[in-house]
Amino acid sequence: MPGEDCRQFEVGGAACQQFDRHLAAYLEGEGGPEVLAHAQKCAYCGTLLADMLQIRSASRHLPLEEPPARVWANIRAALQGEGILREQVPAWYGWFPRLAFLPRPVPLGAFACLALLGLTLLITSGGFEPNSARDLPSPGGTVIAAGAISPGLDEAMARTLRDMENAYLSRENFLEPAVKTVYRRSLESLDANIQESLTYCQREPGNTLAQKYLVNAYKSKAEVLASALELGGR
Amino acid sequence: MSTDKTTAAKAASETQLIARAQQGDEAAFAALFNAQRRRVYSLCLRMTGDTTEAEDLTQEAFLQLFRKISTFRGESAFTTWLHRLVVNVVLMHLRKKGLLQVSLDEVDTSQEEPVKRDYGDDDRRLIGSIDRIRLDRAIAALPPGYRTVFVLHDVEGYEHNEIAQIMDCSTGNSKSQLHKARLKLREYLRHQQRTRAAEVPRSSELEKKR
Repeated sequence: MPGEDCRQFEVGGAACQQFDRHLAAYLEGEGGPEVLAHAQKCAYCGTLLADMLQIRSASRHLPLEEPPARVWANIRAALQGEGILREQVPAWYGWFPRLAFLPRPVPLGAFACLALLGLTLLITSGGFEPNSARDLPSPGGTVIAAGAISPGLDEAMARTLRDMENAYLSRENFLEPAVKTVYRRSLESLDANIQESLTYCQREPGNTLAQKYLVNAYKSKAEVLASALELGGR
Repeated sequence: MSTDKTTAAKAASETQLIARAQQGDEAAFAALFNAQRRRVYSLCLRMTGDTTEAEDLTQEAFLQLFRKISTFRGESAFTTWLHRLVVNVVLMHLRKKGLLQVSLDEVDTSQEEPVKRDYGDDDRRLIGSIDRIRLDRAIAALPPGYRTVFVLHDVEGYEHNEIAQIMDCSTGNSKSQLHKARLKLREYLRHQQRTRAAEVPRSSELEKKR
């Protein structure tokens, strides 16, 4: 083919047919220079080659498409239904069997139980919603100090928990060191869990799972404090 | 940060996500989905040419992935594993629908009418008239066999030997199907170009009559 010009071959003739036979290999980088040489001389074959290169190039740069949001919603629902998504069990749950063996006499128990009941009612009434990052308790603060309670909570609920904490702090020294350590660790763990849940709630306001964890963490903290108050007031 | 460091950091983060997903962590599943959702959906969409089917197949592929994720041991790249899984899900679907024969070798001579070339028909080039929408529409119009090979090779960047393995055919057949697919695409695109060219004078005539 090299050396031929437009007058030396008939369009659709032997040279064009040979071009056709070698075109696929040429596009795969396997063909010889005769394909290109013919394409430069034959307008129709030149157009075909240019089109094929253009299609190949355009296809490599096709943008990615966005799936509808329902795709993830359906996947999540299926995973939940199949039990593949696991509910995250907070580490502090491990403390409860130990705490359950602790003796629970009556002094202060009445106050603690009433406080716990009130707290539960406040939480389940739906009055809670964290508002902004400034509402989050500061990480690394005094674990069971009154200030560790989120001001984003309903004021009455915050006051209840704060009263419980203050009451516990005033009696903490009456506890045996080993028992005190158990409570302190448990409350530290709960505060960390509350902090983590609050962060999730703040980041994803519609995340009902995070809200559920948060409510559970507050309830558990109230339970631990109630238990500690019972023991400390003995 | 250098490309190597970025790649290494991405791989490390992916490994952590996989480890968390293996423990059933929902946030890790969501992060893995978000990282791959567009590529998986686009692959499904282009292989099927149908948005509803693409949604269903994206769902199915991710579900299969998450069900099997506990077995992932990192012998291969996670994305390679995922994309192979997606391709298999789509191929299985096409086969179930009877749109794809078991082996491309069996259909090479019988599946579609041969692509004929009209010499001297029109020497106007396509350049400038291939936009994303027209190309996607033309790909969707390809017969399933051609479309599969074309999407895998020209869009997704698979090599012919990989396609041959996936499709259970020879590399020669993959090459042949690809070439026919490109010719067919060109035919569609040129047809679109001619249709548009014919419509322009018609609409300007209508404008004049008004």
